[in-house]
This record gives sequence, structure tokens and C-alpha cells, in this order.
Amino acid sequence: MLKVKNLSKKYEKVLAVNKVSFEINSGEIGVLIGPNGAGKSTTIKSIAGLLRFEGEISIDGKPNKSIDAKKIFGYVPETAALYESLSVWEHLEFIARAYGLKDWEETAEVLLTRFDMEDKKEKIGKELSKGMQQKVSICCALLINPRMVMFDEPMIGLDPKAIKELKEMFVELKNAGCAVLISTHILDSIAEIWDKALIMNKGEIVYNNTRDAMLASGESLEHIFFSLTDEEEAETA
Amino acid sequence: MKALLFVIRRTLKNLIKGVFKKPILLIGYIFIILFIVLMLVASFAMPSGFIRSGSPGFFTGIMSLVFIFMYYTTLKLGIEKGSTYFRLADVNFAFTAPIMPNKILLYAFIKQVGGTFLFLFIAICQIPNLKNNFALQPYGTWMILLSVIMYALSYPLISMILYSWATKSSGRKNLLKRLFDILALAVAVLFIFSLAKTRSFADSLDEVFNNPVARYFPVIGWTSSIASAAMNGFTPEFWVGAMGMVLLIAGASVVLYRMNLDYYEDVLEGAEYVEAALKAKREGNNLRFNLKIKNKVNQKLSGTGASSIFFKNLLELRKTAFFMFLDRSSVMVIIAAIVFKFIMPSEASELTLSTILFFAAYMLLLIQMQGGIGKEIEKHYIFLIPASSAEKLFFVTLGEHVKNLFDGFILFTAAGILFKAPVNIVAGCTITYGFFGAVYTYGDIIARRIFGRIHSKGVLIFVKAIVNLLMVLPGIIGGAIVFAITRSEFLMISIIGGWGFVLATTLFVFSAGILNNLETVS
Repeated sequence: MLKVKNLSKKYEKVLAVNKVSFEINSGEIGVLIGPNGAGKSTTIKSIAGLLRFEGEISIDGKPNKSIDAKKIFGYVPETAALYESLSVWEHLEFIARAYGLKDWEETAEVLLTRFDMEDKKEKIGKELSKGMQQKVSICCALLINPRMVMFDEPMIGLDPKAIKELKEMFVELKNAGCAVLISTHILDSIAEIWDKALIMNKGEIVYNNTRDAMLASGESLEHIFFSLTDEEEAETA
Repeated sequence: MKALLFVIRRTLKNLIKGVFKKPILLIGYIFIILFIVLMLVASFAMPSGFIRSGSPGFFTGIMSLVFIFMYYTTLKLGIEKGSTYFRLADVNFAFTAPIMPNKILLYAFIKQVGGTFLFLFIAICQIPNLKNNFALQPYGTWMILLSVIMYALSYPLISMILYSWATKSSGRKNLLKRLFDILALAVAVLFIFSLAKTRSFADSLDEVFNNPVARYFPVIGWTSSIASAAMNGFTPEFWVGAMGMVLLIAGASVVLYRMNLDYYEDVLEGAEYVEAALKAKREGNNLRFNLKIKNKVNQKLSGTGASSIFFKNLLELRKTAFFMFLDRSSVMVIIAAIVFKFIMPSEASELTLSTILFFAAYMLLLIQMQGGIGKEIEKHYIFLIPASSAEKLFFVTLGEHVKNLFDGFILFTAAGILFKAPVNIVAGCTITYGFFGAVYTYGDIIARRIFGRIHSKGVLIFVKAIVNLLMVLPGIIGGAIVFAITRSEFLMISIIGGWGFVLATTLFVFSAGILNNLETVS
């Protein structure tokens, strides 16, 4: 579903992402993990079509910046930013209009209920807490019933119930055949759900493996992570 | 496109609904509307050249200077950060949606047309003053407003194109920045040479800017030529300027539409910058671009309890200042106030430093409108310090008073030497300037208590500015009456300063309880 081939991104003289290649298949949860500054957000933003880059990114065989690709992927950014004067419901209506969704209201109601936001429908963007803004952002990404969805540090600011709900949603999305890519640096938050782990360090993918292959090797994700990013860890310690 | 128009429509609708939910805000908005209507009526209906009739060349010079300053500052910032019409919500939602980038750009353009209202409002406030001093054409007001609209529409487009080109390498960015600096420096050098020759600001403005090269100079010359039509009529310069600007705006839009559909990255940093600037505004700061913060300064943390806040503030001020407490805003006030005195007509020469005091106090009002206490009350520390609210309020604002007195001292000492003013006038102006600052500071706190922090900061800032002006007005009227009777500038300043002191003290007493808990400030 998602194919990234030789993705490179340079900010002036800094090479933030260097020839990164990976794939996330339909019905698969991929986790993009790495220390701060590893290039995770740059990779996600490139896939979301927000940055210029070198290399190829396709979603369901279509270039990621094409209108056809945009119709089928959802994106939850690292920083939830809402339209200050639009209500929660109006955000969802805007997404429905932008993506040409029909009969979206019921799905919207279900999403809001799952995130305990059903009584906040009329609240406007600037009246919401950071956690609530994040919930709206997630609801907007999921409203389109995406075939591929990306979450950039999605747990930050969420309450325990919302985190639990979101994890269940990841699995539901996977079971529904959606390709899910989650970027995080909190390993525990995705420990039970991932199918494919991509460890990034200094702009490169230093580990790309499936859960089955990793289990067969007898190692834990945490151990692999620290062994591959050890130098970085030592510097930050 | 329908989805994007939905955002604009609903935003407007919700804004209006929000105002009707809060009666005090409704009063604020009615107040603003009345003020705008009043200014509009004054702009269009009042006679031109009421006080004096400045020369067309002088008028063209002022317009050119204003647009040089505006284009220079906004475009330079644009090269660095990519000025943008967009907010982060647009980036997160609209950019990732299946909507053509050119339609998103069109949506942004429509939003920006709304944004020009702010510029128009600022311009409208200046028109009565211009009409007093210049014999404008009957359609003069329209021409000034047209030039402002052209500026507001063109600068984000030019910025985006320049940024898009410059961002490819740091070399290009530096080249463009240097080019802008060289142009600005060239104008400054030309002006200084002219000034040395003419010894008159008005004549030099005429000489430097009222010539074919300046009037036909792309963008800046075109815009100021449109504004100059307010006085000079529909000259060839106007038509060239108007056509040039229309073609520029259309051309720049086409360039962005057709040649650079991949402009999202260019916008991203700009949008993040806009969010940071708005956040800073909410906290009561101006986001100062490229602000250098020194690591080490010769200022120790000291004091205990509430007084420790004062020393912490002093340390912060010193870290961002060029010298002692002299920072960018101080330099801006000092230079602008002294230039203003030079430009002022000779009939005001009886007042040695008072005109500078009034102008500097007006500038200080604009700078302090954001309210310095905001950055403190956004954090929890101030509420936890074991001291009374009044004591904490005194110390948290003391740093600002020290800075204002310091700035005032530098400004009026320099002006005193330049304009040969007596020492008592210099001292009086310095202290009065400090009291003006105190009135604005405590006025801001009262406004926060009345209006809260939730609604539009723009409205709050506007209301604060008007209320502050109304509050200091009795002192100024009193001072003017005393001056009319006694012809003593010192007495006039003393009356105004005395009123400032009484006002600041009263406002302090009323706002003393604000730091009891978070709820008293929100």
C-alpha cells in the first residue's frame, strides 16, 4: 500500500533523511521509531506531501502528492492545530466536504463517542484543550475511512482512555485492511500492536523487520533499539 | 473549493455568534465599529489642507518612506521565514486533503483580502491627519486605501516566491538579504547626503523620493505612486504603478499556480512562525525575529520572595538588550521620536521636547499594547511565590518601569542635547514617559480582568489602546490649558506627569488582587 523508495530530504546543508526505503502493506501496522532528531517527522511529512523530497513515494501505486492518493490516506500531525473558530462538528463537516464523503454523520458520531467528545460537538477549536484537539485531529483522519493512515506521535496529550481506544482502533484499522504507520519514540505505547518495526537513526533506517522475524531471532524491540541507537543515547545521557 | 469556502463562511458566522454570547465584547465591537465609522466619515468628509498645505513632493516622500519600511521589513522576514497566508490548521487539514493546490492558494487569497481590513483600518486612522496637512484630491482617501490593499495583497505573494527561490540554498538566502540591505542602505545614504545639503527633512524627502527613478521603481515606487495620486491626481506614474501592481499580483499568482504547485513546504515554516507569533501575542510578547539572547550578562539574580521576580525580569531584559536595557523597541522609539521632531513643522518649535514626549508615549502605547505581564501569568510560578498579590504585582511590573525610565533617559538626554532643551524639561519628560508606561502596564491588567483572555486578542488590544488614550487625555488637556495660560513647557509636562502618576497609582490599587490566583486573570 505504502511504498517509500530512496527518500532523501535535505534542509539546506543538513541531510535529515538519507535514502530511506520501506513498505507498509495493507492490513499491517508499521512503527517508525527512533531517538529525537532521527528524521521520523520529516519522513512522515514527506509522505503526507508537505515537503519536497528526492526519491519516490507511492500510496496504492499512486504518487503521494496526487489527488487520487490524497483521497485514501489520513494523517494525524505531531501538533494538532485546529481552526480556532470552527466547532468540532464543523471540522468533521469540512473534512467530509473536502474528501467528498457521503453519509458521514454516523461515522462521525461513532468516532466522537469513542473519544468521549460527543458532548463537545459545538465547542470551537480555541476552547479545546490540547488533548481534545488531538482527539479531533484523529477523528478527522479516520472519518475518511482511510486505506492508509499515518500518526505522528499520536499518544501525546491523550488521556488513558483515549490511548486505550486509539490502540484498539489501530488494530481495527489493521483488521479492516488499512495500512497504518505510527511514528513514536515511546516504545511501550506500541509494544503489543506492531507488525513491522522501522528504526531510524541519524536520517537512516537502521532496522527494518517484521515482528515474526524479530521474535524468531529471540531479541526484543527495546534491546534492538538501544543497541542500534546506543551512541545517540550515550550522547543524550 | 466549496469545502474551503465552508471554512471561511463558518469562521465568520462563529465569530459573530461568539461576540453575541458575551455582552462586554459586544460593547467592545460596537465601540470599534463606531470608531471606524467615525474615522471613515472623517476620512471622507473632512476638508483637506485644514491646518496647512504640504507640498506634493513631501507627500510623495512620506508615502515612499512608509512603503519602503513596510516592504523592507515584511519581505526580509518573508525571505527568512516565508511569509504566508496560511495557518497550521490549513497545513494539517487542507494541504493533505484531495484539493488542488491552486484552489488552496485561491482560498488563502480570499482570506488575505479579509486580512487587508486590518491594514485598511490602520490606514484609515492616519487619513484625517494627512488631510489636515495636505490638500488631497476629492478621491484622495480612495487612493490611499487602494495603495494599502495593493501592498497587503502583494507582499505575501512576493515573499512566497522569494522564499521558494531562496530556500534552495543558504547562499541564495544571504544574497537576497544582502541585496535588500544594500538597497535600504543606499536609500539611507542618499537621504543623509540630501539632508546635509538641504538641512530639512521635508525637502530631502521631496528630493530623494519625488523623482522618476523612485516613482517608477518596481513595487515600492508603484505602490507609493498609487498613494501619491491622492494628492497629485491621475498622473502617468499612477497608471504605471496601478498597472504594475495588478500585473505583479496576477503574475505572481500565476507563477505560484502553474510553476510551483509544490509550495506546501515553503508555507510550512511560515505557518509555524505565524502560530508561534500568535502564541507569543497571547502570552503578551511580541515575537521578535532573530532575537539574540545573550548567555552571560553582568546581572545577578538577587532578592527574596516577590522581589526575586524583579531581578529575574531585569536579567531577562539584560539578556535581550544591546546595552543595559536598550533593546530593539527602545531604539525604534528613540529614532522614530527624534525623526518625528525633525519633520514637525516649525510652528511647534516653541515646545522643545513635548512633541517628542507625545510621540514617544504614542509609540510606547503601540509597543506595550501586548501587555508585558502576559508572559508571567501564562506560567504558574508567579502564583506560587509566597507573597501578597500587591507585592508581587509591584515587583513583576517594576522591571518595565525601570526599562521605560532608562529608555526615556536616553531618548530625552539625546533629544535635549540635539534641541538644546533645559535640564528640568529633560528630567520632566523622562519621568512623565515612565508614568505613561506605568499607566499602560496597569491599564493592561485591568483590561485583562474585565475582558478575560479567551476572545480575540485583536479586539482586546484595540479596546486597551482606546481606553489608555482616553485615560491619559484629561492630563494632556490639563497640560495644554496650563501651557496656554502660562506658556511654560515645564509646567505643562508636570501636569501631564502628575496625572500619569495619579492614574498609574489608581490603576495599581484596582489591579492589586490580580495575582491571587489564575482565575482572577482569565
